[in-house]
Amino acid sequence: MLFFSYFKELVGKEVTVELKNDLAIRGTLHSVDQYLNIKLENTRVVDQDKYPHMLSVRNCFIRGSVVRYVLLPQDGVDIDILHDATRREARGG
Amino acid sequence: MAPGLKRFTDVAGDGTPRLDDAAGEELMCVERAASVALGSRAPEPPGTLFITTRRVIWLSEAEKGKGYAVDFLDITLHAVSRDPEAYPSPCLYTQIEAEADSDEEDGDFDSEANGDSQLPKISEMRIILADAAQLDSLFDAFCHCAELNPDPTAEENEDGEGMTNGGWIHGDEDEHMVDGIDPEFFIPTPIGQNGGDGLSSSVLELQINDQRFEDAEEEEARENGH
Repeated sequence: MLFFSYFKELVGKEVTVELKNDLAIRGTLHSVDQYLNIKLENTRVVDQDKYPHMLSVRNCFIRGSVVRYVLLPQDGVDIDILHDATRREARGG
Repeated sequence: MAPGLKRFTDVAGDGTPRLDDAAGEELMCVERAASVALGSRAPEPPGTLFITTRRVIWLSEAEKGKGYAVDFLDITLHAVSRDPEAYPSPCLYTQIEAEADSDEEDGDFDSEANGDSQLPKISEMRIILADAAQLDSLFDAFCHCAELNPDPTAEENEDGEGMTNGGWIHGDEDEHMVDGIDPEFFIPTPIGQNGGDGLSSSVLELQINDQRFEDAEEEEARENGH
């Protein structure tokens, strides 16, 4: 559940979600659930030339299983907390 | 069963779709005066949209026996689109898992028969409601149903190797673990899915060969000893 807990911390921050079909969407993280389904607000498509019809959707639901990467804001990464969390996760197994 | 959009014809006498009761499928909501536009095709004449716990079914009003269905498992993304530049009418935009060799959009949809054979390659569907004010509640219904349909493989990732191995990318050297971490190692970040594509498998290899967790504890102990 590390990712779930971690992404919950990022709610309200600006992230970029890259899908396995190469579509990359930038927006404010509205919510995330245990399956890592992601809801974004005020979204925009990074590669607008390739996906002109997705120019501006206000909110967007992305299925967790199609996400390839989530690009985080730099200030959204608290290294110390992340350190502890990953160690705990590794020990707990 | 092949993924993606399918033709749907299993309609009961009262004009509602026959659901898979045995699998516990239930009707969640119904939107009348709903039209769908598949891929780059023009919107169909209005029909009725049935949202069930498992899938979205659209039945044509004008053409009896015509209908489409797509499982929530195959809907990868949905969004409310209101920008007239993106699409002439406000709609719920969906992306659908399509067959691999999909070059749908450019396909020739002139003939009905050809159009049908192209169905599994449709990767986009727009749902247009007569009452555009209902789009937000339709969006919420889609969100709710998507959450009811997690991927069958998702549970394996939950506590199995997938979850533990699909972790964060760290630097090769242990130094990075203890001292200030180069933030670059956190961007981009895999999301814990084993898609089987080249990148995530190389991430897995990296971590399997990497004894960093034991090292980390030692380092930690040494650190405390200071």
